[in-house]
Amino acid sequence: MNWNWFHKFASPKWFYQISERILPGLCVVTFSLLFVGLIWGIGFAPADAKQGNSFRIIYLHVPSSFLALAGYFLMAIAGAIGLIWRIKLSFWVMKCAAPIGGILTLLALVTGGLWGKPTWGSFWVWDARATSMLILLFLYIGVYLLGRSFQNSDSGDKASAFLSIIGTVNIPIIYKSVDWWFTLHQPATINFTSAPSMHPDMFYPLLIMIIAFYFVYGLALTLSLRVEILSRERKTKWVRKLISQQ
Amino acid sequence: MHPIRRQRLQIVALIFLLSACAAGLVIYVLGQNANFFFTPSQILAGEYRSGSTIRVGGMVVEGSVSRPNENLQTQFTLTDGKTSLDIVYEGILPDLFAENEAAIATGVMSVSNKLIASQVLAKHDENYTPPELTETMDFIRYSDYKVQ
Amino acid sequence: MNTNYQSNLFFSYMRRDLLIAFRRKSASLNPLIFFVMIVALMPLSLGSYESRLQQMAPGVIWIMALLSVLLSSESLFDEDYRDGSLEQMIITPNLLFMVVLGKITAHWLTKSLPIAIASPLMGLLLSISPESIFSLMIGLIIGTACFSLLGGVGAALTVATKDKSFLLALIIMPLYVPIIIFGSSMIYYRIDGMYWSYPLAALLSIFCMLTILSPLSISGIFRSSMVE
Repeated sequence: MNWNWFHKFASPKWFYQISERILPGLCVVTFSLLFVGLIWGIGFAPADAKQGNSFRIIYLHVPSSFLALAGYFLMAIAGAIGLIWRIKLSFWVMKCAAPIGGILTLLALVTGGLWGKPTWGSFWVWDARATSMLILLFLYIGVYLLGRSFQNSDSGDKASAFLSIIGTVNIPIIYKSVDWWFTLHQPATINFTSAPSMHPDMFYPLLIMIIAFYFVYGLALTLSLRVEILSRERKTKWVRKLISQQ
Repeated sequence: MHPIRRQRLQIVALIFLLSACAAGLVIYVLGQNANFFFTPSQILAGEYRSGSTIRVGGMVVEGSVSRPNENLQTQFTLTDGKTSLDIVYEGILPDLFAENEAAIATGVMSVSNKLIASQVLAKHDENYTPPELTETMDFIRYSDYKVQ
Repeated sequence: MNTNYQSNLFFSYMRRDLLIAFRRKSASLNPLIFFVMIVALMPLSLGSYESRLQQMAPGVIWIMALLSVLLSSESLFDEDYRDGSLEQMIITPNLLFMVVLGKITAHWLTKSLPIAIASPLMGLLLSISPESIFSLMIGLIIGTACFSLLGGVGAALTVATKDKSFLLALIIMPLYVPIIIFGSSMIYYRIDGMYWSYPLAALLSIFCMLTILSPLSISGIFRSSMVE
């Protein structure tokens, strides 16, 4: 099998150049999806029968929780690829994914609290989902801090890759244990295996928001990865050339 | 046998043994019913330690919610289908708290066999529906609607 | 290096670390003294109302045991790293798994197990009823072993960093969640008169998994960091 494409893709220089070309398009798609999803969700989707308008925060809460969890797995997979094939770029993806995922987790927690006050009667309930999200935030913070506490940033990459993989193995156990302790939260709002239990008028804007958040995630990751590439490759010829041109 | 090879064998045996133990224990754990809260029947049967804080879960009985005094004190009854338990709570009830819906009350049992709740939580519902739809489909039960 | 040394790495490394610990009695007693002192401070901050203490004590003892083990795990590989013997362990073609497991066992025996053994006494001081003390100690014996195993992972990850004590605590604390939940619910189940075999089985299964996964990942971490 020809692995050329793989190594080409893993070249920081190639990524930097190709991402420059797709960035404008990515921005346009991201912001138009966000715009459509937010306007539809906040302005036009019907209010919920029991919760009234306060349920609309779902259009921020569910996408950010989704991405917070997916982002952790992406981070761990990137770390594993970096460890197995010794690809620098993959480590950097992992490194950049940590703060983005952490911010999304924080957003999910804050929106959850704002939603929880009118509906359950409390900003914070120590239940399975909320507690697991809080611990996910701690895991993100750990990966972020560990990666930055080494003098040699390559060993920092390796250590935080290990930590994110160990965290991934732990997430189901943590979730199960927390779930066992506090069970109060609703079951999953979106279930891809069965028909959506939400009314379509409410579901479609949510779907758009989830897709939009995937794009936001991709955009944020690309942007911070470009910065990371420049700072880590600052001694190479192509970066020096690039800087001298500007 | 070469000592290194023998120890490698020991490691493999250890890993095998421990994974078998872990798997067996996990199966045992999953097979048990963990209870997160007491049901009213369990409370009335005395399956709790008096004086300790307990969580009781159940359905709010229709027509049982009342406010006997002028203040915020609320009384309602939780049932598990067999027996029911009176709850006394002082404070603001959450939006989703309603008759015939599930709720969880945390508190201490009083001498008169009532739960003096310090917190009442409404169980969240999985379904989101616009108000018009629930009005028109009033005759259809909620669970039927979910299947559509 | 005698033949016995070659024949079983686990016991030889365990014996080595135990010897070091016994030679430095004051250092290896530190976690225990820390645990006793900080638990004794609890009534002073909570008030000595028996009912309040009874409710808080099991959780408090578990958290304090966690803290004491966390503080001591930093030293697991620290000295070996600084004097270069860790590098020797990694590059010699022996089984790092056994070496690591032996070192962690020694750490548990000297630093963590004393805390579990002292816990009934501290529990009685905090007015836990004598009937439920047993479930606290059993839980802590298994729980502190899990703490040591995971603490070893944290120590391996942070061994080359500068200010590691806080970092180690921050990265490992989230992973302690299941142990804390199942461990402390053992005694709370016992106090509330429910069967505590469920959390005990859960805690034991976590212990079995950690005994495999922790030495495996620690040797992985060391191997990959020493490749260059």
